[in-house]
Amino acid sequence: MKAQRLLATTRAALAAAVVLSTAGSALAEKVLRRSNDLSFGGSESLDPISPSPFVELPYLLYDRLVVPANDGTPEPSLALSWEANESASEWVFKLRPGVKFHDGSQFDAADVKFSLERINDPALESPVAAVLGIVSEVEVVDPLTVKIKLSKPHGGLPMLLYDYRVVVLPSEAGDTIEGIGTGPFKLESYDPESTTEVVANPDHWAGAPKLDRMIFTAIPDSEARNQAMLAGQIDYNALTRDQVALFEGNPDFTIQQFPGAGWFGIVFLTDEAPFTDPRVRKALRIAVDRQAMMNLLVGEGNGTLTCDHPVTSSDPFRAEIDCPQDIEGAKALLAEAGFPDGIDVEVYTADLEPGMVQFVEVYQQQAAAAGIRVNMKLAPSDGYWDDVWFYKNSVTSWGQRTADQFLNEAWRTGADWNESHYANPEFDTLLDEARATLDFDKAREIYQAAQVMLYEDGGTFIPYQEDGRRVFSTKVTGFPPLNDEYINWREIDIVE
Amino acid sequence: MLGIVLERIGLAAFTMAFVSVVCFTGLQMMPGDACTVHLGRGASDTALENCRSRLGLDQPAVTRFMDWSGKIVQGDLGLSAQRGKPITEIVGWRLRNTLILSGMAALMGIPMALFLGVVSGLRREGPLDIGISTIAIFGMTVPEFISGSLMILVFSVTLDWSAGIVLASYKAPALDLVRGSILPAATLTFILAAHIMRMVRTSVIEVLQSDFVLMARLKGVPRRQIIWRHVVPNALLPAISIIGLTAAWLLGGVVIVESVFNYPGLGRLAVDAVSDQDLPLVQAIALLFGIIYVIVNLATDLLAMALNPRLRTLRG
Repeated sequence: MKAQRLLATTRAALAAAVVLSTAGSALAEKVLRRSNDLSFGGSESLDPISPSPFVELPYLLYDRLVVPANDGTPEPSLALSWEANESASEWVFKLRPGVKFHDGSQFDAADVKFSLERINDPALESPVAAVLGIVSEVEVVDPLTVKIKLSKPHGGLPMLLYDYRVVVLPSEAGDTIEGIGTGPFKLESYDPESTTEVVANPDHWAGAPKLDRMIFTAIPDSEARNQAMLAGQIDYNALTRDQVALFEGNPDFTIQQFPGAGWFGIVFLTDEAPFTDPRVRKALRIAVDRQAMMNLLVGEGNGTLTCDHPVTSSDPFRAEIDCPQDIEGAKALLAEAGFPDGIDVEVYTADLEPGMVQFVEVYQQQAAAAGIRVNMKLAPSDGYWDDVWFYKNSVTSWGQRTADQFLNEAWRTGADWNESHYANPEFDTLLDEARATLDFDKAREIYQAAQVMLYEDGGTFIPYQEDGRRVFSTKVTGFPPLNDEYINWREIDIVE
Repeated sequence: MLGIVLERIGLAAFTMAFVSVVCFTGLQMMPGDACTVHLGRGASDTALENCRSRLGLDQPAVTRFMDWSGKIVQGDLGLSAQRGKPITEIVGWRLRNTLILSGMAALMGIPMALFLGVVSGLRREGPLDIGISTIAIFGMTVPEFISGSLMILVFSVTLDWSAGIVLASYKAPALDLVRGSILPAATLTFILAAHIMRMVRTSVIEVLQSDFVLMARLKGVPRRQIIWRHVVPNALLPAISIIGLTAAWLLGGVVIVESVFNYPGLGRLAVDAVSDQDLPLVQAIALLFGIIYVIVNLATDLLAMALNPRLRTLRG
């Protein structure tokens, strides 16, 4: 009798212990706390192709068809394999079987058709149309095969699909995109102006993510985001160069640097004299010691030197060119072009982004040695992108793109964003050839030739590309030293 | 008496109307319009056209002003360019939150400032006065973004007594906001109290040197009675209008403190609206700040009048 009671007590105690330990593990839920910067003031959309997306969420809620491997080459995601016809105008993608959306419905070819075709719906005014405008039709061959027809051949289509906004949505969604995807996290609550939460999707086709939950708090001010990091209220944040000192040397934080956050350039209008002369353009660009300029403006080791082309060092199509400062060469080119006594140039800039004014000041100092007299014009920040940039020699600022996107968007004849008004049929032919080839190495050669052409002939001075940075609590692991498109959020973990 | 009150109210109404004209024309004079500014450098012509007709920018400026001000009188602040929502809806919660934060600061700060001001005025040049005044001068001169960041560094990062910035939602219950906002409220209180305390101190010193205090002392009135009967009431009356003037400072301070602490109020919204280039919202917030300032000053004027008979008759 007594023994029995003892047994019962022990059992109860054991049960209590079990309950407690489960409670303990519930407490140990792995939560990554992040912030969203409210850059669209609360009108952020769950639709990844909207002009105002909630930029952090597409990576978590949805999956892309193709993702970049760490070396920049295409890797299967929702698409298992792909093949093009000879002219690269039609692509067949085999899709991954057995994938389910968060609401339990099956992923299939109709979803891919729906997701890709809506990008070009004029009513949606999607900025992604600039990337995938060439998709004319998506044909459902069978439930796990789609044929993508292009209006212009493109051998690099899989790489265009790296774009974080090009994801697969359920075809039933219609015009109401509510965050249902196949991605590693499911949306739990959504309020871009205060708190947004996602939880792990245990049924993800590649396995459940290591984190249980991610919480986003709206913190528009970058200084406040840093304070929240320091006070341990969030675990992860993007970081700018001047904020590094706040976290450097603090064992609680890890700072990670990765190539290709963006770049400034000085755009000379190639259709206006004297910049119509390629010799003048080249002189303006080779007169500068790029290393010194980078060291001065962003600090040594905080960027990659580049020779007037936009392609990032993590891009497999980047051309490595050697472009040392050549003052004598610049003088000779100027003399040849009819400016033996040097040249006066006007360059506009505005105090829009940190360093945008200093960029011209340093250029001015450096170029002076070659007889280039830069007259810096400080334009008002308001209206700079509307009235000054594109119409004057001016400072430009770009974010991250693939080689193909950069070269086609900003240098192809007549392109919308061709800020230097560059018009070179040879260059355009190279871009067409590159797109028409299906051979990766051949495509690389052609894209590199196009970059060399920009160095020899182009009107845009791009001395370096600045690195990006992120900071996170030291207990967080799994970030590759590459930009956000390479992060596999399933692999991010918290190790106490 | 009624005439004076009505005149004050009329003046306040005129000031508000004037402020609305200034807000409106100020933004008119900027390059571009709400749509070019909001849509940025990639804007297509059709997008611009749609945006302009949505916001009524295709109308002439005078028509738009009449329309805008007419709606404001009915409590409609128009449409936000960036947020695609009625501004009244966006501003409502934020206004409440800002009132909570500045209410906290005022509740803690004003009594504290009055007390410290009287004490240091009475102990002029004494060690207590020098101590209080020195701290107050720090409070007045150190910018809010520095004192705010220092507060976080000391009380949150180092001592871990309090949360750092405010993570509460803009529509969180008032009590949650109060609990999560000790540091921003303290930052505001510190600076608010410093301003008012300095004014009260000066006013106490002036009254102490006045003829009637001298008279009372010569008459042999006990010091305590002089202070409570003559000095304090006479010194506090001007403090009421000073508090009104400090409201202007408080509104400016709120913008910075709210941004530093991520407090979801009108001040942070103002900064967001400016950085999002949401001109209709900027215009509405500028007007709201103007109106709040006018109302606070009107209220303190009327209060001072009610408490001080001299103000009711001293008119030429």
